[in-house]
Amino acid sequence: MARDPLKTKLTDMLGIDFPIIAFTHCKDVVDAVVNAGAFAVLGEAMHTPDEIAADIKWIRERVGDKPFGIDLVLPASAPPAGALDELKKGIPEEQQRFADEIKERHDIPDPKTAPALHQWGGLNQEMARAQLDVVLEEKVPVFTSGLGNPGFILEAAHSRGMKVFGLIGRARQAQREIEEGVDGIIAQGTDAAGHTGPIGTFSIVPEVAAIAGDVPVIAAGGVTTGRHLAAALCLGASGVWTGTLWLASRESDSDMIIKEKLLAATSDDTTYGRSVSGMPMRTTKCAWTDEWSKPDAPKTLPAPYQMLLSADYIQSANDHRREDLMFEACGQGVSFVTEMKPARQIVADLIEETLDVFDELFADEPVPANP
Amino acid sequence: MSDISARTEPGFDPEMAGQLAECDGGGAVIGTRYAGREDFAGRLTGEYVDHGDPPWRWYLMTKLTLKPASYTATSVWCEKGNLFLSEKNA
Repeated sequence: MARDPLKTKLTDMLGIDFPIIAFTHCKDVVDAVVNAGAFAVLGEAMHTPDEIAADIKWIRERVGDKPFGIDLVLPASAPPAGALDELKKGIPEEQQRFADEIKERHDIPDPKTAPALHQWGGLNQEMARAQLDVVLEEKVPVFTSGLGNPGFILEAAHSRGMKVFGLIGRARQAQREIEEGVDGIIAQGTDAAGHTGPIGTFSIVPEVAAIAGDVPVIAAGGVTTGRHLAAALCLGASGVWTGTLWLASRESDSDMIIKEKLLAATSDDTTYGRSVSGMPMRTTKCAWTDEWSKPDAPKTLPAPYQMLLSADYIQSANDHRREDLMFEACGQGVSFVTEMKPARQIVADLIEETLDVFDELFADEPVPANP
Repeated sequence: MSDISARTEPGFDPEMAGQLAECDGGGAVIGTRYAGREDFAGRLTGEYVDHGDPPWRWYLMTKLTLKPASYTATSVWCEKGNLFLSEKNA
C-alpha cells in the first residue's frame, strides 16, 4: 500500500497534519492556519522586543500547545558606521529631483503622518539580538531566520528545546547551515515575494534536497496551489513555505485595496527591481516601480537610502488609500489567488488539490490531456 | 534571563587577515517588513567584532571587487556564517 504523500519529515518533526507553512505578518492568520492542522510563522522583523513578547503570548492563548514559529531577519552584512554617517548627509540631488517629479506627475499628496523610520527593527546587530533574546526567553517552538545564517544561535535554541530553520537562496548557504546543525532549510526561489535570490524554485529545491540528508527541505517561491505542493514534494521537499497565498485571506489585515489588487493580479503584474529599498525585491507594479524602471530614470540608491527616498511615497499611498499608488510584496504565484477565502479553507483546498494531483498521477487509466 | 547579551568585543584574527572572501550579505530593509540580499567580495582585514555571548562574529572586508552597483562605501562588515573563503587563497 502506498504511503500518504502528505506525511513527511516536516510533519513528523513538528507533529502537524499537513506539510504547509504559512508565512504571515498577521497573528489572526497564524491562529487560523495552526488550528487548521498546518504550521504558521509570524514575521516579526519590524517589531520591538516588547511587541514580539506580546504577540507570542497572544498566539499561545489561541493555539495552546500546537507549534508555531517566529521569523526574524538576521543581518548578514552592514556598512561601516562611518560610511553610514557619510551617506546620511544627504540623498543625491538627481534622485531626489526624480522622486519629486514622480510626486508631481502622479499628483501624490503629502503623507498624513511622517514615516516612522526610526521604529523599524532588525536594522543592525544590536536590534536583531534584542529581538532574538525574546524568542529564546519565550522558548518559541520554531525560530526561522528569514535572512542570515542562524548558526551562532543553534546551541542556545536547542538547549531550550527549540527548532531552528534557515531560509536560503543559494545551495552553498544551505550546505553551510546544514553542516552547522539547523533543523530545517527553507529553499527560496526567485519567484517568491519580496527580496529573493536569483535562482528559480524549480532549480534550488532539488539542489538543496540533494545535499540535505535527513534535514527537511521546505520549498518557497511561487507556491499557491496544491499542484505546487505536489510538485515540491516530487522535487524532494518535505513541505512548502507560502506567503502570498495568505495576503488576501479573510483573516489577513492587509488593506482591502491591496487584497483586491492581489485577487486581480497575474504573474505578469509583479516586478523585480531595486526602486523600493535599494535591494532587488518582487512587488506588484505601481507608479513608483514603473517610473524607476524607465530607461531615463536615475540609478537607484543603496539600501537603506533608496528606502528613505520611497518612504514618503509609500506612506502617502497608504494614508490616502490611492489604488493607483499602493503596492505589496507578492510572488509570481499570485495568479492563483483569486478568491478571498478563510485561511482554514485555503488549507483544506490546498490539501484536496494536492491529493487530486497524486490521484491523477497514479490513476490506473491515463488522464486525458488538458483541452 | 537569556544568556545572550549585547556586549561587543573587538579583536583580530591573523588567520583571516588577507583572505579573499565572498559574502552572501543583506539585512532587514528600513521601512519594510522584508529582508534584502546583497553580494560582496573582497579581502578580509582580520579585524572582527563579537556581539554578545555566545559570540556573533563580524569580519571587516575591504578592497571590494563585488558590491551592489549603488553601494558607495569602500568596506563592509560581514557576518561569519555568511562568509565564504575564496578558492584562490589555496
